[in-house]
Amino acid sequence: MDLDTFINLLLAGITLGTVYLMMAMGLTLVYGVTKVFNYAQGSFFSWGGYLAWYLSVGVLGWNYYLVIPITLVVMFIAGMIFEKVIILPLRRFPGWDFTVIIVTLGCSLALDNLILVIFGPLSKTIPHLMEGTLKIGKFVVAQHDVLMLVIGILMFIILQLFLSKTWIGLALRAVSQDNVGAKIVGLPLNTLYSVAFGIAGLLSAVAAILLAPRTLLYPLVGWSTLLKAFVVIVLGGLGNIKGTVIAAFALSIAEIFLSYFLGGIWAMPLFLAVLVVLLVFKPKGLFGSW
Amino acid sequence: MVNNLLKNLSRIGLLLLLAILPILFHDNDHIMNIIILCLIWGVVAASWDLILGYANLFSFGHLSFFVIGGYASGLLAKYIGLTPWLGYIAGGIAAAIIGFLIGIPCLRLKGMYLAIVTFSLNFVLPTLIVWAGPGKFENFSTGGSWGLTRIPAPSLFGYVFTRQELVPWYYLSLGFFIMFLSIIYLIIKSNIGLAFIALRDAEPQAKSLGVNEYKYKLLVFALSAFIAGSAGAYYASYFSLISPASMNLDVFLIVLVMVLFGGLGVFPGAAIGAFIITIVNELLRPTLEWRLVILGTIVILTMMFMPKGIMDILALLGRLMKRILNIRRSSKSTPA
Repeated sequence: MDLDTFINLLLAGITLGTVYLMMAMGLTLVYGVTKVFNYAQGSFFSWGGYLAWYLSVGVLGWNYYLVIPITLVVMFIAGMIFEKVIILPLRRFPGWDFTVIIVTLGCSLALDNLILVIFGPLSKTIPHLMEGTLKIGKFVVAQHDVLMLVIGILMFIILQLFLSKTWIGLALRAVSQDNVGAKIVGLPLNTLYSVAFGIAGLLSAVAAILLAPRTLLYPLVGWSTLLKAFVVIVLGGLGNIKGTVIAAFALSIAEIFLSYFLGGIWAMPLFLAVLVVLLVFKPKGLFGSW
Repeated sequence: MVNNLLKNLSRIGLLLLLAILPILFHDNDHIMNIIILCLIWGVVAASWDLILGYANLFSFGHLSFFVIGGYASGLLAKYIGLTPWLGYIAGGIAAAIIGFLIGIPCLRLKGMYLAIVTFSLNFVLPTLIVWAGPGKFENFSTGGSWGLTRIPAPSLFGYVFTRQELVPWYYLSLGFFIMFLSIIYLIIKSNIGLAFIALRDAEPQAKSLGVNEYKYKLLVFALSAFIAGSAGAYYASYFSLISPASMNLDVFLIVLVMVLFGGLGVFPGAAIGAFIITIVNELLRPTLEWRLVILGTIVILTMMFMPKGIMDILALLGRLMKRILNIRRSSKSTPA
């Protein structure tokens, strides 16, 4: 393998990592705040991608740079509605943590098949953020890849600032640390739960807009990203931000190189193997202390 | 007393009904096929309920046992010439071994972790099966994404079962169904089942009384995998085909609906659910793609409004009946 291929693969891996990072942040935030593991987040991913497709090249033909903010806002609101309609009513059940896993799984399967009903089984493609390439020294990279990296890092920084500087962000963290205490001091728990789901919806939509130009959109597209994001969380340690970042990039780079040498089908087995080995030998993740 | 008698009578009636069904439908292959599918899926759903409802372990990879059983028996029959009868056992054993192996890492997992690990099997196993397709292994090719075709059917006293005559298949399936449901019933009623229920309902107390959690969890993985694997082997010989498509998410969804709709951890519930949902699934065919959306919605609504599934409906009907009876009685006793 020459240096050129190596750099290209590395770049592909790193950019893929930003997508996994965003999905993982969504899952972690929702799990931390609401204690729900949201199986339906893979469907948020697919829906975000399909919505962008529908508004832009697919049907309505709007300007793509207008479509992106609309998609993000819609997915944020959709996430909040999802929490209000599906998750909130479940909270009054005894043993709801059992129920909620099956319900989000059911939702996810229903939502995926709704995509099949509305958009059909043929795969769709959405535009790159920017066409064209960029020359860095003697390497040629796609502008979309550079933007993936930039946007990924920006989103990460914005989310961290949001969680540590704004009132809502601090409230979310308070709820995730101690929701009884948060309730006692008068934080609006139900609203915060919805906001967490909304942010997860938004992050999934960003992930879809970044990744879908590369992988195409099909009804079950969200699943592999969701499962891989879960492995990222476990590897990094649940709730460990630094660990999650390292895990996202390590796994995505490993995936790209493995796919290059052995073929793409080995990606999922790799992730499952990593997951099983980790959960058995280091259940708190590589960097974990919780 | 009367209640018990009624229960036994209804059971015998149900069996009789099942026994004479072919008289009604013997010339309608489509309906016979659906009834046979009901019986096969009944076994699969009941075995899944053993692990999901009784042991309360989030094992979402149950169909992989079904498929492994199908492939194991199919490969052995095609390439070694094992008779399908032994194939059913071999498929079960192969699935049980895999179930045991999967059970080992899952011992330490709870809740969503277990759910994710087992659920990933639905994505990993099909890709591995496709990978091991034509050209990879000379003598043990899985047939790739087309699946393993022309799996032989069993024969009995010189009679070879064929898809042209579904009535013999029906009785064979009925026997198969009754046998495995009895086994599951015996497991639930035995000390093993008691241990599952104790671990589910009061884990600390059960452990303090010396119920070995690891032993019983591995056991339930292996047992339910055996039954599912055997059902998979049977399914493969009935259709003379097993393919990775049997692990598609829509099959997963359908079987999940069966178990949930029938009720988690209420014994014949899952099998009843399998009957109802198999038929509902067929009735929904004209709705095309909406079918799976509807089934997914049933999962959500069932968990939200009737967490015990069909048993909740029956209880509701019972209460209604009682109320109606009471009204009648009270209107008799107190003339207004």
